[in-house]
Amino acid sequence: MIRNYFKMGLRGLKNQPFFTLINTLGLAIGTAGGLLIALYVYDELNHDEMFADSDLIHRIDMEIKFGGAEIKSAESAAPLAGALKNDFPEVEQTTRFRIQGSNLFRDTQKTDNIKELHTTYADSTLLEMFDLELIHGNRKTALKKPNTLVMTRTAAENHFGSVDVVGKNLLLNNKEMYQVTGVMEDLPSNSFLKDYTIFMAMAGNVASREDIWGGNNYFTFIKVSPDTSMEKFQLQLDGLLEKYVLPWATRTFPGMTAESFLASGNYIRYHSIPLTDIHLHSNNKVEMSKVGDMQNVYILSFIGFFLIFLASVNFMNLSTAHSLKRAKEVGIRKTLGSNRGQLIIQFLTESGIVVFVSMLLAVLVSSIALPFFNDLAGRAISIPFENPMFYGWLILITIILGLISGSYPAFVISKFAPIDTLKGNSFQTSSKWNMRSVLVVFQFGVAVFLIVGTLVVFQQLKFIQNKDLGFDKEQVLIINDTYAAGDQVNAMRQEILNLSAVQNATVSSFMPVSSSRSSTSFFQEGKMDQQYAIQSQVWKVDEHYLNTLDLKLISGRNFNGQFVSDSTAVIINESTLKTLGLDAEEALGVRITQEVELGEPLYFKIIGVVQDFHYESLRDDIGALALFMDRSTGYMAIKLKTADLTDILSNIENIWASKAPGQPFDYRFMDDAFETSYKEEQRLGSIFMVFTCLSIFIACLGLFALAMYNAQTRTKEIGVRKVLGASVRQITFRLTLNFLKLVGVAILFALPLGWYFMDIWLRDFTYRIQVGWQTLGFAALLVIFIAIFTVSFQAIKAAIANPVKSLRTE
Amino acid sequence: MLLKLNHIYKWVKSGGRRVFLLNDLNLTIEKGEFISLMGPSGSGKSTLFNVIAMLDTFDEGDYFFENETIHDLNSKQKTKLFNENIGFIFQAYHLLDDLTVYENIETPLLYKKIKSSERKALVADMLDKFNIVGKKDLFPHQLSGGQQQLVGIARALIIKPKLILADEPTGNLNSTQSDEIMQLFKDLNTEGITIIQATHSESNAAYGSRLIKLLDGSVNNK
Repeated sequence: MIRNYFKMGLRGLKNQPFFTLINTLGLAIGTAGGLLIALYVYDELNHDEMFADSDLIHRIDMEIKFGGAEIKSAESAAPLAGALKNDFPEVEQTTRFRIQGSNLFRDTQKTDNIKELHTTYADSTLLEMFDLELIHGNRKTALKKPNTLVMTRTAAENHFGSVDVVGKNLLLNNKEMYQVTGVMEDLPSNSFLKDYTIFMAMAGNVASREDIWGGNNYFTFIKVSPDTSMEKFQLQLDGLLEKYVLPWATRTFPGMTAESFLASGNYIRYHSIPLTDIHLHSNNKVEMSKVGDMQNVYILSFIGFFLIFLASVNFMNLSTAHSLKRAKEVGIRKTLGSNRGQLIIQFLTESGIVVFVSMLLAVLVSSIALPFFNDLAGRAISIPFENPMFYGWLILITIILGLISGSYPAFVISKFAPIDTLKGNSFQTSSKWNMRSVLVVFQFGVAVFLIVGTLVVFQQLKFIQNKDLGFDKEQVLIINDTYAAGDQVNAMRQEILNLSAVQNATVSSFMPVSSSRSSTSFFQEGKMDQQYAIQSQVWKVDEHYLNTLDLKLISGRNFNGQFVSDSTAVIINESTLKTLGLDAEEALGVRITQEVELGEPLYFKIIGVVQDFHYESLRDDIGALALFMDRSTGYMAIKLKTADLTDILSNIENIWASKAPGQPFDYRFMDDAFETSYKEEQRLGSIFMVFTCLSIFIACLGLFALAMYNAQTRTKEIGVRKVLGASVRQITFRLTLNFLKLVGVAILFALPLGWYFMDIWLRDFTYRIQVGWQTLGFAALLVIFIAIFTVSFQAIKAAIANPVKSLRTE
Repeated sequence: MLLKLNHIYKWVKSGGRRVFLLNDLNLTIEKGEFISLMGPSGSGKSTLFNVIAMLDTFDEGDYFFENETIHDLNSKQKTKLFNENIGFIFQAYHLLDDLTVYENIETPLLYKKIKSSERKALVADMLDKFNIVGKKDLFPHQLSGGQQQLVGIARALIIKPKLILADEPTGNLNSTQSDEIMQLFKDLNTEGITIIQATHSESNAAYGSRLIKLLDGSVNNK
């Protein structure tokens, strides 16, 4: 009997090739999309789970309120790890990271440096705690001694051309000698260590051993013993403040007492976050690697779910459309002795076959699409063919989809009474139309919603790109790592300035795009009490900075290299001005200081106020900023006169080669760098768009087939109307209008929803667009247009058919 | 006695009034009879068929099939009784388009969960009997109307029914084909199968052993 079900199922499908094709294709595309998204979401949710005992590893984060500023930080003080290990029996191991960013390394046998983008100091416990195996070297002793390092396979191959390199030496930034003590496999792409290629022994970092609780520069990870209650542990963390931090502060800041610290509303709070939660639930300004966003995971899950569901809806829809034909079959089979159960099994077998084939196709399609998807999403996801769970899920989804898709014919059509269906007239009630209408409305509702989403994401991106940032990012070339030129930096700048295409150039480690950041708190003269502390970014720049980046002064003057006194001058931004509570002219001449230490503090005089410019993401407000004239040679920003780069780049590179021989020449354009910081949004936008197109395609497939069916079943009606004198145009209009009504209802439902949810999404940005009626109107028109296009083809075809033919068939 | 209908009423409501489809209908059919049921369109032939076939309900009256009191059975029991005892033949043949001749004939056996080997034998017998062995792998649309109806009859007979209900079985056929089918019915009747056929044709009616005329939902043999 089973074999017979299959045989009948296959025959049935073969005899309606068009519907079978649309069903299979729609389901395959839908599930392929869903599968890709599921893999992506799985990858996001399982971040860092590959580490042994990942559930026992936590990071200690801080919340600090000090002098009016509230800071959340994933970094904490150097001595914290030791204190935790000492005081808490449940803390079995700790590992700290002190991020070093990009550094130049050179094989001592060679002359050229190679840049490693992500390097860090790490405690020797790293390898054991995270259970990182070494390909070469002994993990018990590696990273114990100062000036030793462990590198990844890729880094080893880059520097030495092989991995068996334990014992070899590397020169760091042309200064410090390091010995390789271990080589490990590259770190998994969904771990927080994914970017890091070189781990240097913490023993070489002097500050890591100092008992200073004020600076927070160390990512501190702990591994607790199993069965530790993290709630209890959390409560005990509060004791750290009294035991360590306050005694240190009162020692360091004369006049400060624990009471005065707390009385002004200040606090320092420690809390632990599980390692596996960091990727999606931690959102500090500085993280060890780019974190994800739970919101995006939700959005994508939503899209993935609906892609599959849309395809499933197609299936149901076409089945209801087909019910007339199937109903007759049900009638015959019932008079031949079939009971309802047998019919249900038969229909489910049929849908099961379609779903099964679709799933196979979906796996095929998604394997083909995976590289493109990875590119789009910036991930390195693979389909887990070696994982038995994967097949389990596939089978489960096949069964669920088979049941959903086959449910209508199986449970509704099989119920029809044989005599009604064999007469073929009385059962065509309005109820099935309602069912189908609801499904069409639903499909197009989702399409409208996704279109609104895509439009808003892209508009916001465009808004960001075109927003007046307060500085000029166009035609600005940034040379990275100019510190490699040592004391030749200024000479190099001079030579570059002599190039005819160069307008200006500035040297600083601090740029309004991703670069170094440094913050501190400072005080206005005469207001030295803690409560008046101003938390601010402090940037070291040269006197060409303002002109090169076209920053506008609203009062005062720029730095002048000729004035010796300008070494104690400061230019503040409007935001700092606001915090000081002064107006732009009043502020000039006011003195501020960073230190509240013994003796006479070093005062800086405000000589200028610069208009606010967006040096952080547009997601955030513009924070307080103070510019000092000081040497800091991380980057050189070069303002070009033209966008024509033909010779400039090679000219600059030649100058670089002469001033910094053997150092890698690395550059970027400021506008590109700016856009890079919105990569996640751009990715989201692209993903949104791709899957929106897919969902619209699937919805159209369904509508197309439905329109075709509708035209077919109404051939007689159309024939009669034509004989009575209806024109092709009238008939086309009539056939199309029915569907348009449904699309209209879908639009009415989906537009407010789309508006509502995208408004929530936009709230993440401090600077954002409004969802305008134009956007909503455009989405609505687009869907209407697509629907008309899809439906009218069938409608016209039916309308121009010869009525004599259609009437004769009855 | 094969079946007996006592004072059967069936009506539909139309604008608050009852429209009677069957109106005090009385009918007794003995085993081995070949009944020809005649009557104008709308006289209730199809309704009566559906009631006899237990595919449709009636509003009042008693129906006995052999020893069962049909009006007391639930729908599952009725379906079972129908499946074991009654074969249905349609004017429009109603073969399953997707299945071959062989498979069409086999289908009722599948639903009766008969073993594969036994099914083969039974279908082969039937193909043999109706001389359609050569056509067993053809699909319905490849057959003429008469051949399709032969398959329809073969399919009805495969479960060895006690009663065959044929609703204008030759309505779509030409007179030659029609006569062949009627002769076949007569032969089957001689083999002991009870047959009720609804027909508009006097000549077809003449093949029957008894003529029943239906008018306005009741038997009218005047």
